[in-house]
Amino acid sequence: MFRQPRPPDPDQDLVTRAQQGDTRAFDALILKYGDKLYGLVYNMTSHKEDTHDLLQEIFSRAYHSLGKFKGNATFYTWIYQIAVNLTLNFLKKRKRRSSLSLNDMDSSVQQDPALIDTAHEANPEKQTNLNELQLKLNEAVKKLSDPHRMVVTMFDIQGMSHGEIAKVLNTSAGTIRSRLHYAHLQLQSALQDSWDERF
Amino acid sequence: MKPTIEQIGTLLALKREERPEEGYWQDFLCDFHRNQREEAVRKSGFANLIGRVSAWFSEMSPSKWAYGVGLAYSAVTIAFVLSPREVVKENVPVSPVNYQVVPAPTPSAVEQLNQLDLSPTTQGSIGEQVF
Repeated sequence: MFRQPRPPDPDQDLVTRAQQGDTRAFDALILKYGDKLYGLVYNMTSHKEDTHDLLQEIFSRAYHSLGKFKGNATFYTWIYQIAVNLTLNFLKKRKRRSSLSLNDMDSSVQQDPALIDTAHEANPEKQTNLNELQLKLNEAVKKLSDPHRMVVTMFDIQGMSHGEIAKVLNTSAGTIRSRLHYAHLQLQSALQDSWDERF
Repeated sequence: MKPTIEQIGTLLALKREERPEEGYWQDFLCDFHRNQREEAVRKSGFANLIGRVSAWFSEMSPSKWAYGVGLAYSAVTIAFVLSPREVVKENVPVSPVNYQVVPAPTPSAVEQLNQLDLSPTTQGSIGEQVF
C-alpha cells in the first residue's frame, strides 16, 4: 500500500521568503492566520490584553524558530502547535499566580456580539432568552478543563476536523473524539435547566 | 430538557465570527516590529561579544592553543603581582573625645613672691655658709 503524497503547503512560498529574511512575507503570514489564532487564544483566555500579549509571543517564537521549520507539517499546523503550547503554559501559570475568577474575565465575552443571533433580532423575548442561554454556555465552557476547552474551541468554534486537531495536539483522533464527547456531556448538563424547547 | 450535541455545536459556532476590532492587526504589526527591533538591540551587545570570542577561538590552530593558554597565564600572573595590596585596617570603634581644657589658676604676683623663701637664714652671706 502506498501512502498518499501530502498536498503541498500553500504557505511554502511565504515561509521560504520569510526564512530568507523577508519580513513582509512574515507579516503576510501573520495577517493570514491572525484572526484564527486570535479566536483560539481569546476563547481560551477570555482576556483581550492577555490575548494580545500571547499572540505577540506566539508570532515572535514562530519568527525566531522559522529556521527550524523543515516543512514536515504545514505552516498552519506548526504555528497552531506553537499557539496551543504557549496558551496552555500561560493558563497553567495564570492559575498558579492567582485563581482568576469569572468576574475578572472580559465582560465582552459574556456579552459577545457574535453570539447575538440575527435570526432572533425581530423577537426581543426570544433574543433575551438566547442571550441568557449563551451566558450560561460561556460560563459552562470556562468551567471545562483546559484540554477539554481547547478541543471544544478548535472543533466547535473554529470548525477544525478531528484529524487536524489530532495533528496539532500530537495525539490520536480517538482521543480527540473522547475529549469532545466528555466536554459535550458537561455542557449538556450545564445547560439542561435553562434550555428551552423553543430553541 | 437537555440540548442536543448539534444544538450546542450550533450555539458555539456563533462564536466563530468573533474578530478583533478593525485596525487591530495594523497596530499589532507595529508592536511586533518594535518588539523585534528592541530584542535585536538587546541581544546584539551580548551576542557580539560571544561571537568575537568564539570566532577568535575557532580560528586558533591547536599549536596556538598552548600560546593562548601561556599568554593568559602570564597575564593573570602579572595582574596578580601588580595589583595593589589592600591594607587591612582594624575597625576600632571610634568614640568622640570629650575632654575639657580648664585653664590653670594664675596666682597673683604678690602670692608668687610670698611662696618664695627669701628669709635671711637661707640667704647667707657672701663667702660663708650657715649650718
